[in-house]
Amino acid sequence: MNSETKQQILFGLYDDDDQLLDAVRKAKSDHLDIMDVYSPFPVHGLDELLGLAESRLHIAGFIYGALGTLTAFGFMTWVFTRDWPIIFGGKPYWSVPAFIPITFELTVLFAAVGMTFTFYAVSRLWPGAGNPILHPRITDDKFCIAFDTTACEEAEVNKLKNFFEATGASLVDVKEVQEEA
Amino acid sequence: MNQLTFTSKQKRTFFIMMAIGVVSMILTYVLDGQYNHLRFWTNYLHNAVFFTGLGVMGLFILGAFVTAWAGWYVVMKRIWEAFSLFILPGMLLFIPLVAGLWLGWHQLYIWGDSEVVAHDEVLQGKSALLNKGVYTIATFLILGIWYLFAKKMRALSLEEERQGVGENFAFHRKLRVWAAGSLPLIGFLSVPLITLWDMSLEPHWYSTLYFWYTGASWFVAAIALTILLLFYLRGKGYFPHVTDEHIHDLGKYLFAFSIFWTYLWFDQFMLIWYGNVGEETVYFKLRRDMYPVLFYGNLLINFALPFLILMRNSTKKKVGTMVLSAVLVFVGHWLDFFLMIKPGPLAEAQHLAGEHAAGGFMAGFTLPGFLELGTLVGFLGFFAYFVFSKLSEAPLEPAHDPYLEESLHHHA
Repeated sequence: MNSETKQQILFGLYDDDDQLLDAVRKAKSDHLDIMDVYSPFPVHGLDELLGLAESRLHIAGFIYGALGTLTAFGFMTWVFTRDWPIIFGGKPYWSVPAFIPITFELTVLFAAVGMTFTFYAVSRLWPGAGNPILHPRITDDKFCIAFDTTACEEAEVNKLKNFFEATGASLVDVKEVQEEA
Repeated sequence: MNQLTFTSKQKRTFFIMMAIGVVSMILTYVLDGQYNHLRFWTNYLHNAVFFTGLGVMGLFILGAFVTAWAGWYVVMKRIWEAFSLFILPGMLLFIPLVAGLWLGWHQLYIWGDSEVVAHDEVLQGKSALLNKGVYTIATFLILGIWYLFAKKMRALSLEEERQGVGENFAFHRKLRVWAAGSLPLIGFLSVPLITLWDMSLEPHWYSTLYFWYTGASWFVAAIALTILLLFYLRGKGYFPHVTDEHIHDLGKYLFAFSIFWTYLWFDQFMLIWYGNVGEETVYFKLRRDMYPVLFYGNLLINFALPFLILMRNSTKKKVGTMVLSAVLVFVGHWLDFFLMIKPGPLAEAQHLAGEHAAGGFMAGFTLPGFLELGTLVGFLGFFAYFVFSKLSEAPLEPAHDPYLEESLHHHA
């Protein structure tokens, strides 16, 4: 396997989201190359600060939803007009109002399930996927900024450490993780 | 600018709109005397119900948001305070209708005709509710109670503006009690009111979802009008702290409650369609057969268009798409009320006159004509005049509302 290369990550933990936002702002103005930011909950305004592009997940959601609509409506139409026409309550075979609730349900189901699995796939979360966690408290109450320092020289690493100190990080550490494929 | 100046130019515009409305109504009355001036009276009832409902929704929105400890809406809360005070003029709008019921000026409600009731067993059975006394008392008593709450909440809000937050947020604490009290009163009392005003136009028919449906229609229309008003006032330099984030949230309300309205529309339709009971299906049969354009157009304007236009994140923030969908939805729900109110009295009147309900186009009933649009413009001018004059009475941004700071930093 050629994914044996190790990646060296320098990260700092902050105690609250305001501190994190200030630190990201400072990193931007110092032109530091942030690898990623981790937080236990979505922080308002962080996306814009990091300059992340709007997620395209909802476009996928629309397509899945439309697919669900067509599947449900098409299937019921086929069943009740071609495959097994039965009269219910004196209504015509092709009774559109009766199809609407199921069409709605399948639209929601397709959109929800499709978006969930798309999100897993995009985030590389599949069975057996290893996702290195920099520090367990990132999933609890700490906010983290991470830098990739694999190819950094001593001076650069020190500069980043100074940055963490200046912005009030409560913990600074280095961790080696398996590089993602 | 925190103090709205109601300019003479705006006043002139609103007076011209009101004049158009008055002329339209007079013309309707004079030109169309059929069935005891039914076209005029249905127009008047239609707009009185629609615009009074916008006022009620102003009170409901304030009550709900204050009770839910919401903060984001505070920068624009004066708009809904102004809406909610419209319940008083709304009550005045009902005086001619109530007087007409007693004095026989109109034949909107066939249950008000004792000769008809004498030959109708169903109406006799319903006469404990559907009679002139209950109509009169319910209209004025319920609107009066709601106005009391609207006035009290406005007074507390203005008191807070003058005296500061008070000891331990005294004013806001009182406001919260009144707000919480207003919610069940709006919820439960709107049922008899909507029954008497709208549903009893076809007194043999009934639907238990009708009240939610009507309320949702009012609510969406009120949100649409709020959006239009905010864009207009922001363009004039008022409401500087209403950001794209606030507009985005109003867009979500418009989007979500358009879907909610559709949900209720379809619920009511499907249950009646599936049950297939003659006394229930008449309502939809009449509308589908005689008013197909409005019947299907209703779903297009009030569901399909706002659903597709406002689905994206960005379209809920852009002025163009928001104004477009707000105008569509506002007019759409006005048409929705048109379709609720017009067909019933016409069919009843034709039945009474011994005529066979003829298909084909009938101006002012099948579709709104110029006179109906003129009446809408008139009522809209009246509503806007009232709202602007109330807005100009107090600073637009409530300086001492405890949630103001949260609203200023609102970020969705």
